[in-house]
Amino acid sequence: MATGSAPRDGENNGTDAASVVYEHVTKRYPGQESPAVQDLSLEVPAGEICVLVGPSGCGKTTAMRMVNRMVEITEGDIKVGGTSVRDRDAADLRREIGYVIQQVGLFPHRTVAANIGTVPHLLGWQHDRIAARTSELLDLVGLGADLGDRYPAQLSGGQQQRVGVARALAADPHVMLMDEPFGAIDPIARERLQNEFLRLQGEIRKTVLFVTHDIDEAIKMGDRVAVMKNGGHLAQFATPAELLMDPADDFVEDFVGADRALKRLSLMRVSDIDLWEAPLAFVGQATSEVKLKLHRAEVPHVLLVDSQRRPLGWLSERDLAGEVVPEHPDSPAEPRLDRDDVMRDALANLLQSETQYAAVVDASGEIDGVLSVEIISEFLGSPEAREEEHPAAERPHD
Amino acid sequence: MTTLQLAPTADFGIFGDAIHLIFHGQQAQTAGRTVGGISAIWDLTLTQLKVTGLAMGCGMLIALPAGVILGHFGRGEFLAISIGNLGRAVPELGLIIFMASAIGVGVLNLTIALTILAIPPMLTNSFVAMRQVDRDTVQAARGMGMTTREVITAVELPLAIPTIMGGVRTSSTNVVATATLGPLAGVLTLGDLILQPAVYGQQGVVAGAICVAVLALILELCLAGVQHLLTSPGLRLARASA
Amino acid sequence: MIEALPYAAVVLHNRTNESGCVPDNGLFCPSWAADNWHDFVTPSLQHLVLVAVPILLGFVIALGLAIVAHRRRWLMPPILGATGALYTIPSIAFFFLLTPLIGRGRETAIIALTVYTLQIIFRNILAGLDNVPAGAKDAGRGMGLTQNQLLWGVELPLALPEIIAGLRIAIVSTAALATLAVFVGGGGLGTEIFTGSKVFNTRLIMASLLVMAIAFCFDGLLLLLQRLVTPWRRAVPA
Repeated sequence: MATGSAPRDGENNGTDAASVVYEHVTKRYPGQESPAVQDLSLEVPAGEICVLVGPSGCGKTTAMRMVNRMVEITEGDIKVGGTSVRDRDAADLRREIGYVIQQVGLFPHRTVAANIGTVPHLLGWQHDRIAARTSELLDLVGLGADLGDRYPAQLSGGQQQRVGVARALAADPHVMLMDEPFGAIDPIARERLQNEFLRLQGEIRKTVLFVTHDIDEAIKMGDRVAVMKNGGHLAQFATPAELLMDPADDFVEDFVGADRALKRLSLMRVSDIDLWEAPLAFVGQATSEVKLKLHRAEVPHVLLVDSQRRPLGWLSERDLAGEVVPEHPDSPAEPRLDRDDVMRDALANLLQSETQYAAVVDASGEIDGVLSVEIISEFLGSPEAREEEHPAAERPHD
Repeated sequence: MTTLQLAPTADFGIFGDAIHLIFHGQQAQTAGRTVGGISAIWDLTLTQLKVTGLAMGCGMLIALPAGVILGHFGRGEFLAISIGNLGRAVPELGLIIFMASAIGVGVLNLTIALTILAIPPMLTNSFVAMRQVDRDTVQAARGMGMTTREVITAVELPLAIPTIMGGVRTSSTNVVATATLGPLAGVLTLGDLILQPAVYGQQGVVAGAICVAVLALILELCLAGVQHLLTSPGLRLARASA
Repeated sequence: MIEALPYAAVVLHNRTNESGCVPDNGLFCPSWAADNWHDFVTPSLQHLVLVAVPILLGFVIALGLAIVAHRRRWLMPPILGATGALYTIPSIAFFFLLTPLIGRGRETAIIALTVYTLQIIFRNILAGLDNVPAGAKDAGRGMGLTQNQLLWGVELPLALPEIIAGLRIAIVSTAALATLAVFVGGGGLGTEIFTGSKVFNTRLIMASLLVMAIAFCFDGLLLLLQRLVTPWRRAVPA
């Protein structure tokens, strides 16, 4: 059931991240017939995000909380960085593991800075070291340094959640445990937080165990996804792409959703597709030349570009009625997409703008090609799309 | 200033004497007649209960409606809370003696003094109890078309009962305790045993203390039972699981 | 039936030929108060001790009981019941149940007054601990705080407002109750109220007002203390 290969321990990108290995872990609560977690075995390589996803009551949170012994293991073992969690004193173990929960759980009676400094303080760090680390972390999670003296009650939900993440990172833990950390935030802020966390992860590369009930979040955030079903069973452990293309059974297929194809778009960038070409025109060019190009083009509209081939707008028939190409086109070059945009967002832009074609530019702003809904649907239907593997390491994100 | 002393010089025997005094009576220390005995004790107890009952009745008539109505409309918070604070700070001994001095002795005057004592906790508690009823529940009730009277009687009061009864129980504890000092206002309650060692002897003092303690505990149990009866089962469950 | 006690009838009647506030036993005679205020100094100081010591002792004991009951929930009803029963017994009765065992005097009064504070403080500490946000406790444990570190560093500080509220109620009640210490020879302002001789209104009123003043001073001090130790409550929400 567990598919996908994992890089060996030691290949951890030179950070302190440790691997997390579940070995036949079972959790039974006294007085309950069926176990909360049943014979769970999986390996999370160091530096990767593993998302535990599943319906309510499937045991994903219980499984995560066994890593830092908030829930004690009944059978089996969990090894963090090769050492069993049972061999460590619980409080000591937890100080080396970052812990972020849905309600955040900031201490209301302490300032933001004091909250962040909680574990370093427990570990006996010097005062200046804690202060330096706190400002470093506030910067890392995108908060102003002046927020350090505020109290949690003075922060918005999104800000509190960021402080929660900063607090968990304070002592530079080997492993991060996150239990629906963005669940209580509004969708707009949630997306921003997700993107920022992915950006952060790109920099610091921690081993993260992330619990969510939202399959879309799992696919977006996870390098590897463990789908669990009721009764604490592991249904499938694979990369998001494998999950979408090759669900292990009916449950996983249902859970992932009928819109698997659409979900795959969030794994792709615009640059992954072959774009069409639009005929280009420069200001002052003779329209006769342009009309000639138009005749043979894939895209039946002309794009006006400047001398650096940056799009200025689409030319209408009226524009081309004159002798030379005018300076100001009738239609603006909207929407303007980037090569590196996530395909799903690009599609959303296209549909929203009610145009058929969108100009795609590269990093310097130069025209790269044109995207349309037709191109996307053609691609999704193609045999090439079915076979292509999208390596877990390259995650598109804003 | 005497220092603390416990056994062996502690006088445990006096408790035995006190019990004897309660049930069988004894020779008075002064005049040569029998004092104590069950029927005399019972009379004193009844007087104490009577005064307590009167004071609590009047107090409840004044404090509960005031607190409930003020609490429902959210008015007079400062007054309700301040009266509660003031009432707590008033020394009962001073109140009784002052009342006796200012308006005279007798059951009526004692009752007035005790009523004044009874009002503050009940006023504050019923006010706070009404304020603490979940606003959403009240909104829902209004939304269903209940009139003010119906909202108060059918929704707010049942939910406020535990805290209101808490105030009643606090008041009654205070009143029955202060009623012990009734003799200072010319009313013979169980305090007579305590305040007249010349007549009843030291064992009388202890006897009085025992009787008053037992009386207060029984009263409290009864009121706890009343509260239990008045509290809806659903509310009891909710509070138990909270 | 024994005749009614002579105390109540001992109201100061004007048997002299003079008139004026004092001989007429007027409600409050400012001149007498001004002349005789030093009568009240010692009783007031005694009263302060009779209030401060029971509160401190009661707080320590109640805190210990509350921490135990917080960790072992099943102990809560018995402790609540015991402290409640002791609270229900009228203090004057309690004084006289103690005297055969430990004698009269200030210590007896202090012990009885301490027992009186237990129920309210115990209840309030527990209520405060129960109101600590569950998220903060879970996060605290998850970060590696030991049980004690969680209790002293997170739970008790967050319970402070309720704890201090309980202390305020207890201290005001104790100030009033401490007047009864006179019955066991414990001193305090009760000696100026129940003088054993004829009732002189001004003395009575002054003593009672002083009792209330002490009560409110302590109350105010505790309120200030609460403001000092809970700076986060003053922070204006975003």
